[in-house]
Amino acid sequence: MGKVAVVGAGMTRFVRRAQETGKELSYLAARMALDSCGLTLKDVDAVVVGSAPDAFDGVHMKGEYLADGSGGWQKPTLRCFVGGATGVFAPIVGWYHVASGQFDTVLVVCEEKMSSCHPHPQGAFLTIFDHTTERALGPNLLWIFALEMNRYMTVHGITKEEIALVAVKNKKNALDHPCAHLGSEITVDDVLNSEVMAWPVNRLDVSPASDGAAAIVMCSERVAKRVSDRPVWVEGVGWHLDTAYWTNRDLYYPRYVEYAARMAYDMAGIKEPRKEINIVEPYDPFDYKELHHLEGLLFCKPGEAAKLTVDGVTARDGDLPVCPSGGLLGVGNPIAAAGLMKVCELFWQLRGEAGRRQVPGQPRRGLAQAWGDLMQVGTVVILGI
Amino acid sequence: MREKITNPDAIRTWPGKVPVEYVYTVGVASEPFFRALMERGRLLASPCPECGVRYLPPRLFCERCFSRLEASLELEPRGTLEAFTVVHVDLDGNRLDEPQAYGLVRIHGADTALVHRLAASDADEPEVGMEVEAVLLPPAERTGSILDIRHFRPV
Ligand SMILES: [Zn+2]
Repeated sequence: MGKVAVVGAGMTRFVRRAQETGKELSYLAARMALDSCGLTLKDVDAVVVGSAPDAFDGVHMKGEYLADGSGGWQKPTLRCFVGGATGVFAPIVGWYHVASGQFDTVLVVCEEKMSSCHPHPQGAFLTIFDHTTERALGPNLLWIFALEMNRYMTVHGITKEEIALVAVKNKKNALDHPCAHLGSEITVDDVLNSEVMAWPVNRLDVSPASDGAAAIVMCSERVAKRVSDRPVWVEGVGWHLDTAYWTNRDLYYPRYVEYAARMAYDMAGIKEPRKEINIVEPYDPFDYKELHHLEGLLFCKPGEAAKLTVDGVTARDGDLPVCPSGGLLGVGNPIAAAGLMKVCELFWQLRGEAGRRQVPGQPRRGLAQAWGDLMQVGTVVILGI
Repeated sequence: MREKITNPDAIRTWPGKVPVEYVYTVGVASEPFFRALMERGRLLASPCPECGVRYLPPRLFCERCFSRLEASLELEPRGTLEAFTVVHVDLDGNRLDEPQAYGLVRIHGADTALVHRLAASDADEPEVGMEVEAVLLPPAERTGSILDIRHFRPV
């Protein structure tokens, strides 16, 4: 397989309600990514669109709807979708478009416009549950995260105070992100005293629903060396599916993340992720999920991620910066765009272009991860310079 | 089961629906389009400064060359009928009391077509290539929607 590089990145601001349509958001991010590396649409051989359920934007066949704004006019164009994991899956699809040797330059664009959906995008999630045994109970996503968080806390004896530190850290990091929806300086008490949504989940444990888009440009080695003086290389990719019945797993540990990570580590030749990876952008739609995912990614033993946070290891200037972007909790959560935002963050961090968010020490390698469907898909991308 | 199920209660079922509604922003490019339609009864198009394609309704970007566009071209709501259909059944398969014609209209000065209703009239059978014009709602009744155009009719 050929080597694949990321040579450009762009994103819109993440906001509660964008005036732009979904295709306009896609265009703004895609154009910014192309401009960032001095390429035009003529240089693009193929397009990958990532977007989560059609029900968010309220447009069926959203891939086709977003295609023109994503630069797909008269090009081989493919939309991929694995729920919340889409934003890190789309660059994997972009990677094999190029690694296969079929294309030299691929534009990868992820978009979500959650604000179209009323009264709240959670309504669109109601029909992901089993229609006969579960929907009769009126479940929503918050329930299953609350059940998972409860299981995770109970198995390891982790407190809500420890978990709240993740929300405090990420929302503060987001203050330095020019595209952030919800950067803020809050305290653990603010999290604990915020409205209970579904115990043990309080409002500030959760990321906001946002509108936005993000994009990257991926190239073969031959083109990357011509168009970029600092290409960032895809060193590993991994994706994995666990049982589709969320009730058939022990929720305390995300095996699907571990298996996806092992696939990416094998490809990158990584034996000890804690020592060999400098920045982590795990998927953090809820604060406990950052900890849960760090464990699945094998950065520590199950149950030990909270201590890393308490000890400041995961701070932006810590030994292992985690979500230096501000994550979904701070930058916002336009589902697929949020995952690709994490890959954009690695690109900027590894090139030393992250501005006030720049982690110290010239990081050489970073990992982005997302997770989705009904909590059983893990996707991982490792970038290095 | 090859027959259409006409009585679902004959087998055990659980009823469900997806209880969401949508509020779509018309977007950056369409805001001036609907304002011009509502306030002046004119149609705006966005010409591409690079490749020259004139989009109607206007777009924020040219899909061909990715230039950013402005809805800078103001056109009369008249054009040429490119294709038409006459619909006789509704979505459920019921016969319509009055058949309804729909057409693709290429507004003079634009390169893309607009889909809309055609006036019902026995005297004026639609014909591809014919000249048509928009019949607008009275100004007081316009709301800034595509239905501010009642229909197109032969000139
Ligand atoms: Zn053009």
